[in-house]
Amino acid sequence: MPEKSVREMGELERLHHSLAARVFHAVMMGAAILGLVALLIGLGAYAYAMANQFIGESFGLARSTNAVLEKALDVEPLVMEVMDRYRSLSEEERNTMGEESYNEFFSGIEEREDYQTLRAILKIFLDSSDVNDVYLGVYDPDTKALVYICDPDDSEEYGFLPGEWEELEERELNKFITWDGEGKLHDTSNTDAYGWMCTSGMPVAISDKTVHCFVLSDITLSEIAGSLKHFILQYAVAIIIATVLLGVILTRHMKKNLVQPINAIAGAAEQYVADRKNGVEDTDHFTRLNIRTGDEIENLSLVFADMEKDLAEYEEHLTTITAEKERIGTELALATRLQADMLPNIFPAFPERVEFDIFAMMEPAKEVGGDFYDFFLIDDDHLGMVMADVSGKGVPAALFMMATKIILANLAMVGRSPKEVLEGANNAICANNREEMFVTVWFGILELSTGKVTAANAGHEYPVLKPAGGNYELYKDKHGFVIGSMEGLKYQQYELLLTPGARLFLYTDGVPEATNAENQMFGTERMLETLNAHAGASPEEALQAVRKAVSDFVGGAPQFDDLTMLCLEYKGPEKG
Amino acid sequence: MKEDIVLTIHKDQDGDALKVTLEGRLDTMTAPELEKELKGSLDDVRELTFVLTDLEYISSAGLRVLLMAQKTMSSKGSMKVTGVNDLVREIFEVTGFTEILTIE
Repeated sequence: MPEKSVREMGELERLHHSLAARVFHAVMMGAAILGLVALLIGLGAYAYAMANQFIGESFGLARSTNAVLEKALDVEPLVMEVMDRYRSLSEEERNTMGEESYNEFFSGIEEREDYQTLRAILKIFLDSSDVNDVYLGVYDPDTKALVYICDPDDSEEYGFLPGEWEELEERELNKFITWDGEGKLHDTSNTDAYGWMCTSGMPVAISDKTVHCFVLSDITLSEIAGSLKHFILQYAVAIIIATVLLGVILTRHMKKNLVQPINAIAGAAEQYVADRKNGVEDTDHFTRLNIRTGDEIENLSLVFADMEKDLAEYEEHLTTITAEKERIGTELALATRLQADMLPNIFPAFPERVEFDIFAMMEPAKEVGGDFYDFFLIDDDHLGMVMADVSGKGVPAALFMMATKIILANLAMVGRSPKEVLEGANNAICANNREEMFVTVWFGILELSTGKVTAANAGHEYPVLKPAGGNYELYKDKHGFVIGSMEGLKYQQYELLLTPGARLFLYTDGVPEATNAENQMFGTERMLETLNAHAGASPEEALQAVRKAVSDFVGGAPQFDDLTMLCLEYKGPEKG
Repeated sequence: MKEDIVLTIHKDQDGDALKVTLEGRLDTMTAPELEKELKGSLDDVRELTFVLTDLEYISSAGLRVLLMAQKTMSSKGSMKVTGVNDLVREIFEVTGFTEILTIE
């Protein structure tokens, strides 16, 4: 995770988070390295070319001089004279070079006519070129020396007299005396006296093949260094300008094609989020961007645009669904109230009747349920009681329950017996029940003046009876089949006699089948125990006790069946 | 929601005889599952058998599915219920299902 979001950054910080700056730095670095490499290569190439040019010039001069000499002067006698004298010298005599006495060995040479002609010709060539010297010399392998024949250089310092010699490196000596005539004969060496010096040579034909005579031309290469300095300076300036220019152009290019589009997308995203927070809908921040870079950035912006559109559609869809859900929720809440209101739920229900006390409750597992109870006075002496359970739950069960409740009450109100009520209800419901739903019903009629209960059971739970002064116990009555699945069913009815103080407890399977987290059921045993533990309590208190016992038993497990109960206490006929 | 509230439905078809073994709880939550399973597979069945040995509980919603199966089968073959344990038998008795089901 980054330390902070872009939103939390200041302007300066955002600037530092810049692709353009990074690109500029990278370009500068790259161009600088490239420039340096190019400089080194250029420098090498330049130096090489310069050296080649110098060597060419020097070699050319040696060749031209030799060509002229071939036509104008026969140098062989002079060369042989000098070399004869040189070779006749002993080791000690040779080493006296530099002293007056040494030059005595070669007296008279300078006075020779051919020497002076030769010197004049060499002088002309020397003066008309850029080389440092052009002269005639012999490479002597025996003494490993270059013996000067004629040197037109007048200077005390660099000029040589005939017969004077210079020590040679083995390499240079071999190169010159074994030259095959290919290319330009030259040798470059770093000398103490002249610095980097290139000596080019052209062999002079001498009949004595042991005498390797050359027209030689010296040129110093130190001038190249000077012009290199100049070159580097110009080149460096050019490289720097090119680098900066390249950096600026590339950075601009990057800014236009990379940074600005990305910033635009980021800006659009911020706007988008801000709009979302403020509840603005139908935004087109990403669609409006219109980035046409033809690369991943454009793809990115298109993806964002799609996302914006899809999100808007999704949200609209979601809003519709949420609205729908809310509507359904509201309607369900209304249905729940309506269902509860359909059942007699104001207690005491018949405050003016002293013959009995009745209490009932219904708690649906879902918003609306399929269980129901009902009780109503059929006439002044008869109380009808219903406990029923529709298969399934939720709205379908609730609708089915409503129909059943009305049918049962209608049939009872016209004075039919419980058996007839159940049979009539069964036929009425079967006539139009494609969903194969059914309902279990216990229906009884209490004769208030006598305490006689006439009842019939269509597949419902056993009722619980408590004789006056006795215990609550299951009354295993005769069962018929559930209502709503087979037309023409017959039901049996039976009679019970309630003495004053006796009670009748009715319930649906939600009570005994309430299940706890260990998958155990509450069961009729616990139900009876609870009721008997509150034997003296009023019907209302008895139901509350069972409800609490079920709730304690189930604990954290969700109640997944309706909880519906009814308790009646018969108090005896009205006195008077 | 408890995780162990589930129903395992195992079907074993042998020609036109289908044996359906139910394990767990057949209640409001699992009954639609069984209803869906049966709806598509009863067309060619002449003999339907439910094995309820390991059925822990059956609610009215479950009874409804059995009733629908019974109605479908009585028009073209037979249906029987086997392995009925005490708890399920009690529910069958209370609801009167013992009258309409063939219990073995």
